[in-house]
Amino acid sequence: MPIVELHNIRKVYSSKVAVEGLTLSIEPGTMFGLLGPNGSGKTSSIRMMIGMTVPDSGSVSLFGKPFNRSLLHRIGYLPEERGLYKKMRVTDQLTFLGCLHGLTEAVARKRARDWCERLQIKEALPKKTEELSKGMQQKIQFIAALLHEPELIIMDEPFTGLDPVNAALLMETLMGLRNEGRTILFSTHRMDQVEKFCDSIALISRGRLVLSGSMRAIKSRYPRNRVQVAFTGNDSFLHGPDILETKNHPGGAELKLASEADAQKILAAAVAGGAVINRFEVHEPSLEEIFIEEVKKSFGETEAVEA
Amino acid sequence: MHNIWLIAKREYLERIRTKSFLIATIVIPLIMAVLVFGSSFMASRVKSESHIAVVTVDETFATDLKKALETSQNSEMKVDIFTPSEAVRQSLDSQLKEKDGTLAGYLWVTPSATPGGLSTYAYKARSVGDIATKTTLQDAIQTVSTRERLLAHNLSPTDIDSLTTSIKLDTSASGNTRAAFFTAYLLFFLMYMVIMLYGMNTARSIIEEKTSRVFEVLLATIKPEELLAGKILGVGSVGLTQVGVWMLVTFIIANSSISGMVGGAGHAPVSIQQIGFFVLYFIFGFLIYSSMAAALGAMTNSEQELQQLNMLLVIPLIFCFAMLGVVIPAPDSTLARVVSLIPFCSPLLMNFRLSLTQVAPWEIWLSIGLMSVTIAAILWVSSRIYRVGILMYGKKPSLPEIFRWLKYS
Repeated sequence: MPIVELHNIRKVYSSKVAVEGLTLSIEPGTMFGLLGPNGSGKTSSIRMMIGMTVPDSGSVSLFGKPFNRSLLHRIGYLPEERGLYKKMRVTDQLTFLGCLHGLTEAVARKRARDWCERLQIKEALPKKTEELSKGMQQKIQFIAALLHEPELIIMDEPFTGLDPVNAALLMETLMGLRNEGRTILFSTHRMDQVEKFCDSIALISRGRLVLSGSMRAIKSRYPRNRVQVAFTGNDSFLHGPDILETKNHPGGAELKLASEADAQKILAAAVAGGAVINRFEVHEPSLEEIFIEEVKKSFGETEAVEA
Repeated sequence: MHNIWLIAKREYLERIRTKSFLIATIVIPLIMAVLVFGSSFMASRVKSESHIAVVTVDETFATDLKKALETSQNSEMKVDIFTPSEAVRQSLDSQLKEKDGTLAGYLWVTPSATPGGLSTYAYKARSVGDIATKTTLQDAIQTVSTRERLLAHNLSPTDIDSLTTSIKLDTSASGNTRAAFFTAYLLFFLMYMVIMLYGMNTARSIIEEKTSRVFEVLLATIKPEELLAGKILGVGSVGLTQVGVWMLVTFIIANSSISGMVGGAGHAPVSIQQIGFFVLYFIFGFLIYSSMAAALGAMTNSEQELQQLNMLLVIPLIFCFAMLGVVIPAPDSTLARVVSLIPFCSPLLMNFRLSLTQVAPWEIWLSIGLMSVTIAAILWVSSRIYRVGILMYGKKPSLPEIFRWLKYS
């Protein structure tokens, strides 16, 4: 039974279609990445999931039941932009938000302290939010979404504005939560994270679903026609007829081939030509490449229709 | 219900802790005390203490006038007497022109050409604005010359005294009217101030949540209606606390021995009843204006934008000010009654009338009923505007859009 199910939802703001016929489902216990370029409808979709806005048509189900506000206590939400009271002390703020999610004050206060220790920002507790750095504020926001131990965690761009160390720390925390059996949905444009950590993804562009499914299934749809090569010496093999695209970088190149089978020919040509091969790797396109390709395709299609 | 309580509690505690709350709570009663006592003190002590000169050939008139001006009930002037001559005039004129001279003006009496006719009195003052001296002088001349003319008609001084005894209007049964009126006026201003202040505070607090995007976290658990209700209750309780502190302080000071010393006869400037009505009408007034302000806050994105729209709040309040001209001279007139029943004006005008006159209980109940209905209506509209408006950013909504929001539910 999917934990989140959107069925054919549509949302139109006064002049602009934000989401058009979006259907997707998220299985319990998975890490789900919601991808899409800026303005593609990620935030609109998330807002409809948590009932902040109501879809014009279509249905939203949570935990196998039609949407109902009482289910919101089982969800933790981190908005795209930081939403904290600037002049409120961190402890009070977290306690307040915890209480709003149904915790008692004592429990909320204790969990707030524990989480701040876990995320290494214990010193922030007595401070006002406005005195904290952006990264720290983001961590506080992150904690606020988790205090009530939600089964479903929804995070809209959780890693923007974080340095790599802190981004990794939050990612690890999320992985830990997933391993405990929680379901996590997050939106991002950072493909490297999605590729490494997500079980399933959905790619939306211009309010429509372009691609969705488990990471492995999606990747297997694409041919293994990419080659990473690191070499020294003669580079004449890079100009062969089977190579569609070449990106040169110091000490190597990235190649896009016409078909999977061409990889061996290229390698043979390189060795024959006298290049010294340090590394030669054949793989499917990266998620980033898939993303760019699919988004371009979606824009192209609509433009074609409009014209 | 629990959520409303949590929101209200946070709003209350955070606001009560601010420095501005503390300052306003302490400073405003101080200013009020100074105004109340200062004014009644001034009212009892206003005596003309100017230094003037009287130029006349009539010595009896001069001494009588001097006596009247120097020792009467409301004047303690210093009077110099001169006999007319060109030298005296020049010297007085030059004294008037001296920058740091004390002479406020001089009176030049020209006897009538015909015997028994009225003399002419000319007063040349240093400042045209010195009306108090002029009025006191005029009264004194009137008394003295009347007396002289009566003497000339062979009336005995005792007869004249009994004839000219001024009557005293006793208003002590209805209290010290000047002080009572002043208190009513002060309460009116205070009400205007707190309603405006706390109405705007509600709007500001909404904008603050909007700009800091906190509401997005809040709306992920609670309903917009709960958020709005909690906010109004929280801000309102802060206002009530502040008003409560002020009223308590005023009441204590007004009924202590100090006020007896300076206030003179009559009852205490502020009665328990006035305080009770003030608190009651503050609650209703706040609810009306803050629920309007909440809608404005939800429609706008910044304080600047709010400033442009707050005319909507100010206009009804300004109307109340204009209506003071109707209510003060005749608090029981039909017009005064009607305007004080308009829900937007009741908190100011009905409360003002309550301080000035006897208002029939049915009028009070009617005003409360009308205000309650209005509050319900405004809240209905505001909560709809709020729940949609709070998620809108960027552009200001147009009027048709706002109407569409009302239909959206």
